[in-house]
Amino acid sequence: MEKTGVLSAKEAFEKLEKVGEGTYGKVYRAREKATGKIVALKKTRLHEDEEGVPPTTLREVSILRMLSRDPHVVRLMDVKQGQNKEGKTVLYLVFEYMDTDLKKFIRSFRQSGETIPPHIIKVILSICPSIFNIRFFFVHLFLSIWLQSLMYQLCKGVAFCHGHGILHRDLKPHNLLMDRKTMMLKIADLGLARAFTVPIKKYTHEILTLWYRAPEVLLGATHYSMAVDMWSVGCIFAELVTKQALFPGDSELQQLLHIFRLLGTPNEDVWPGVSKLMNWHEYPQWNPQSLSTAVPSLDELGLDLLSQMLKYEPSKRISAKKAMEHVYFDDLDKRHL
Amino acid sequence: MEFDLEDPLVSLEEEQTFTISELFASESEHVPSPNCLTSTHFRVFCCEAISLILQVQVSCKLDPFVAYLAINYLHRFMSSQEIPQGKPWFLRLVVISCLSLASKMKNTTLSFLVIQKEGCYFKAQSIQRMELLILGALKWRMRSITPFSFLHFFISLAEIKDQSLKQALKSRASEIIFNAQNDIKLLEYKPSTVAATALIFASHELFPQQYSILRASITASEYLDGETLSKCFDLMQDMMRMEAKELMIDTSFLSTETPVSMLERNTKRQRI
Repeated sequence: MEKTGVLSAKEAFEKLEKVGEGTYGKVYRAREKATGKIVALKKTRLHEDEEGVPPTTLREVSILRMLSRDPHVVRLMDVKQGQNKEGKTVLYLVFEYMDTDLKKFIRSFRQSGETIPPHIIKVILSICPSIFNIRFFFVHLFLSIWLQSLMYQLCKGVAFCHGHGILHRDLKPHNLLMDRKTMMLKIADLGLARAFTVPIKKYTHEILTLWYRAPEVLLGATHYSMAVDMWSVGCIFAELVTKQALFPGDSELQQLLHIFRLLGTPNEDVWPGVSKLMNWHEYPQWNPQSLSTAVPSLDELGLDLLSQMLKYEPSKRISAKKAMEHVYFDDLDKRHL
Repeated sequence: MEFDLEDPLVSLEEEQTFTISELFASESEHVPSPNCLTSTHFRVFCCEAISLILQVQVSCKLDPFVAYLAINYLHRFMSSQEIPQGKPWFLRLVVISCLSLASKMKNTTLSFLVIQKEGCYFKAQSIQRMELLILGALKWRMRSITPFSFLHFFISLAEIKDQSLKQALKSRASEIIFNAQNDIKLLEYKPSTVAATALIFASHELFPQQYSILRASITASEYLDGETLSKCFDLMQDMMRMEAKELMIDTSFLSTETPVSMLERNTKRQRI
């Protein structure tokens, strides 16, 4: 029943290299033969189902098609069907290609050594720039300038998703694609982890995703809200500043303890209803520490925004849209974002 | 979050202003391609298919939105294909596949067995193959933008304070939209135009004193073209006169015909 002229996925694209593998299946950098355009191909097997195309696949791809209008969500350009060696139906999601992600970007800066606070850089720059190693100096200047822009783009992309009633649930630096030349940031892997799950070692999975997980999720809340994504945004914000994960737990319990050590162990006063959550236990009692102890080089406005992203009570956490309006972004030139 | 035909892009009212222009910008991706509308084959095929879908709706007690969505998929799919000749099974397979896709998008459980109880039986594999064919043709844009998507917006333009009045208006407009899906001619018009027209009719019927205010606020919308709206209005007026006439005939003969039989007769008449 193939229409004449419609190419199968294998005929339409030349695979150049495999660039990723994980919960979403294999990802290839590929060239579209007709146009020469470089794309990212995400391949996933369509599981056989007695009732045809699985509903979750159908609904998630439809969501991606709809969300692809925003400049801060990675664009799903096409969906191709193919067959694998065993004759099973395979879907290829054709995405715009982005050359890096925020995880790699942060790592590239980590190798430059300790952070110099942006406000100190500005003072030093105005006094006598020549006393510093130029590369070291400008690397940090570069990052401090782009911090606001990257965070604004992230909030804008999340606001777009939430404005459409879509939660991401797995925001992390690896899922935030970047173009180094334009410094554009785009959200990826919307819903894919759920729709196209591939068996993966639980330990690895938990390590990868625990660090950005909201406390209400860790404590077993059954009703997610958009606030779970804003918690992740806050963790990413801190990591952009320090180049280290804010809460690097290696188990669900350790993840909670990391959070409690910094923000204080929650109680019914700061978070009504917390002790009734499914996974709630008795925990060591810590007092809240100032966020500046964890993110010492972030300025006061940034710390205020971060604190609003890391509110314990989900309903009190700042929304993505409100975050875009925060005074921290007032001096950012938003015309091209 | 659940996909809602009334709000395919918007789930929170407070976020409406963020996406309303996008809703209008996107709607042309969810209508059949224009060339097919003059094709007799397309009209005949779609009339028969719609009749089948509405029969299943009645026999399976489907949410009317599921049937509406299935018909949207049908129109979009068949307008992009050649109508195959001499394959009577094709129509039924397309109908089953469109209903299946629509029910999945609406998160309704609808077994293949139930849909097919009155006809020949297709294997799940065949249905999946047809589903994938339809998905490819529609470019997986399955969260369709339909007239229902625009009702809230247009009603809000009129600044009606009374909540029960707004609800009655929306219900009657929805009923008009459901009834209108039988007429292929309406496919010429964008969903937003159909929505605006249905609301104008509903307000005239229910609240004559509010009519002029609502009509003025809707027609003033920057998103609508006045001339096109006027033509759509005339077409819908003809349809509603026909509907009223048929109702009178049926009443006068004290007919016991079921809605399905009426639909079948309508289909035959349209074919002539």
